[in-house]
Amino acid sequence: MSYTLRGRIESRLGVLVPVIVAACVLALAEHRYWPVEAVGLMLGVGVALDLQLYHRFLPYQPGWVALPLGALELAALLGLMRVLGVTAPLWQAVALFGGGWLVAQALGHAGFPLLRLAYAEDGGELGRVGLVSAVVVGALLATTGATAYALEPPVVYLKSGVHKGPLVITHREVLVGRPGAIVRGGIVVEASGVTIRNVTVVGGEYGIAVQNVSRTVLDGVSVSGAELDGIHVTGAGVMIRNCTVDMHGNPIGKGIDISYNMGMGMSMVEGCTVFGGMEGIDTHSSMTDIVRDKVSGTREHGISVTEMSMGTVMDSEVTNALGIGIYCNDRSMCMLEHNTVVATRRDVASGNPTRNGVGILASFQSEADLRGNTLGSNPVPMNAVINSQLRATH
Amino acid sequence: MTSDARIAVVGSGLAGFTAYQTLRRGGFEPGEITVFGTEADPAAGWRRRAAAIRQREMRSESDGHCLPTSFPGLAIRSAARRRSAAPLLASAFDRYHPTVDEFLGHVEALRERSGWDKSLDDRRIERVRAVDGGFELDGCGVFAHVLVAPGHPGLNIPTELRDDPRAVHSYEPHEYASTVTVIGAGIAAATEWLNALAAGSEVVSIRRREPLRRPLNVPREYFSRRGLAAYHRLGLEERVARLRALLAPSYPLGSTWDKPLARAAAEDRFRVEPSLNGSAQVICATGFVRGFEKDALLARLVGDHGLETAGGWIVLAPDGSVPSLTDDTRTLALAGAPAPMAFPAADTLAGARYVAHGFLRRIASCRTR
Repeated sequence: MSYTLRGRIESRLGVLVPVIVAACVLALAEHRYWPVEAVGLMLGVGVALDLQLYHRFLPYQPGWVALPLGALELAALLGLMRVLGVTAPLWQAVALFGGGWLVAQALGHAGFPLLRLAYAEDGGELGRVGLVSAVVVGALLATTGATAYALEPPVVYLKSGVHKGPLVITHREVLVGRPGAIVRGGIVVEASGVTIRNVTVVGGEYGIAVQNVSRTVLDGVSVSGAELDGIHVTGAGVMIRNCTVDMHGNPIGKGIDISYNMGMGMSMVEGCTVFGGMEGIDTHSSMTDIVRDKVSGTREHGISVTEMSMGTVMDSEVTNALGIGIYCNDRSMCMLEHNTVVATRRDVASGNPTRNGVGILASFQSEADLRGNTLGSNPVPMNAVINSQLRATH
Repeated sequence: MTSDARIAVVGSGLAGFTAYQTLRRGGFEPGEITVFGTEADPAAGWRRRAAAIRQREMRSESDGHCLPTSFPGLAIRSAARRRSAAPLLASAFDRYHPTVDEFLGHVEALRERSGWDKSLDDRRIERVRAVDGGFELDGCGVFAHVLVAPGHPGLNIPTELRDDPRAVHSYEPHEYASTVTVIGAGIAAATEWLNALAAGSEVVSIRRREPLRRPLNVPREYFSRRGLAAYHRLGLEERVARLRALLAPSYPLGSTWDKPLARAAAEDRFRVEPSLNGSAQVICATGFVRGFEKDALLARLVGDHGLETAGGWIVLAPDGSVPSLTDDTRTLALAGAPAPMAFPAADTLAGARYVAHGFLRRIASCRTR
């Protein structure tokens, strides 16, 4: 087909109408606005390419060219999302784009020609439908953008210096620490939809406590000197990213403890580093993915998935744990993939034969599926006890 | 005589048929359209020509059909019938060429479904005259909107061969003698080279110029508004020159054509010569005569109304209508072979569809509709 410039843009807008409606529905359902941001970027990328590239160099466009152009636009979209900090689940973003691309093909080859007799001859121009599409897309983007802006939680900046805690957060907000901002005495999150970013917490009963709330994000927090757990999550859905938890000198606390959040959807601990403590990362009766984390020097378990938990431990490193490296226990179901467990030490003092330096241990009717794990310098690389199973998967 | 029908299509060939399908899609009932033509089968003329050159596949568009919209074309129908994605894939790569049988079957089905035969008036129109409120068609009534699709005015046989008993036009039924000379350099000539070689003949090609090799005579940009806008902006002389270049004979690239010719040349069964030799048969693959003056109806139309012409073609508005005879109460449009001033590939199905769309738009916006 030979598109006119107007035809390219009108067709693009026409195609975007159902896609942006779907994105708005998704955004409203999930209380997350990345789908709308992604569609806005799709439109921006597409129109820029129409103006600068396609119209100049493609006087005629055979059907198959839609495929490489789609791949080009997808790459540009993902790159822009990364640069602009639009955080979206990769596969969902790809699925949204792929769905939009399929809709574009269906409309471009079938829908629009049926709607408008001379669609092909008119170079993709849609006449009044094009104008209506532009209005609809613009209105939806503006409305959703305004709604998102209006519903956006307030951003509270914590200036550099030491702030006396415990800091109790009772309203939805984004708490952003300026460089050097420290809270001494812990933070307690008592409202849903709270984000804490780049804050250092020293001391406190718990470093950060999150209880019975949802959609909590802890991003780039640093915790040390907690009396009990570094990050303590109970009955709450959390996303913990890029954190550091220092539990040196605390033999009873857990670096990150996530418990009893089965009804809160999937939680995640990603890119965190935990030193010391009784356990590094520990989940009880919860659904949590533990991804790309580093745990070292723990006294009981490096990473523990227990008490009927379900979760994946992936691409993580556990070093120098006493007794057990990764522990799948108490009727839990664990996917353990591409982890590295090294230098686990025998816990001779415990007198417990299952703690004699096991890299991976499944215990008490638990099931662990293993794939691509690296186990080195562990007295016992792996073991399964009390009606438990370790299964190698490919 | 005044007809109840306000719309007339003069010519019952494929261009008229395509226009009829578009009008039907536009909401007109068979009783509102009169088609004047002496052959009920819209593909009759095309069928004879395709049979004469043993054509098996369509060339003019990747998905040639007579439907008013590009979807669903023949590729999707073929894919559904064969339960294979191959036709769709070929279509995406502009490589789908429906077979002649598929095309003729499609025309037959469409003819039956659309009520074509109900609209057909088995009379030849020799004259179209503008009168108050429309056009008087040779005593057959006055119509507000008339589309003239007379087809090609005749086969082009070089003057010096008209009385030569060895000569036959490629579009006339013929077999192949042991030695055959083919005159021409377009797709009909190329098809005849292969046909004659396949029949065991020795073939001599006579051409005035080296044949052009391109998928279609007219580049695909010229099938849509983008290329057409640039074409319509040209002055008349430039447009005529562009048309002559675009309509120069050509045939597609590809080994389907090259391999048999190369093999035959190696065996000395195919060669190019500058002039006629002593072949037993001379096939004139020289297409059709051109020019409005070769068609009695068009010649009278130009003479009666003093229409503007250029290079043998009637000057048309971009939508195919005749500017001086079209206003907001009536429409006269040309489709098919005489309409290249509106659409360079006017004698293709795409050209017929283009003019039909314009004709329908005119009618829709006309206050006497």
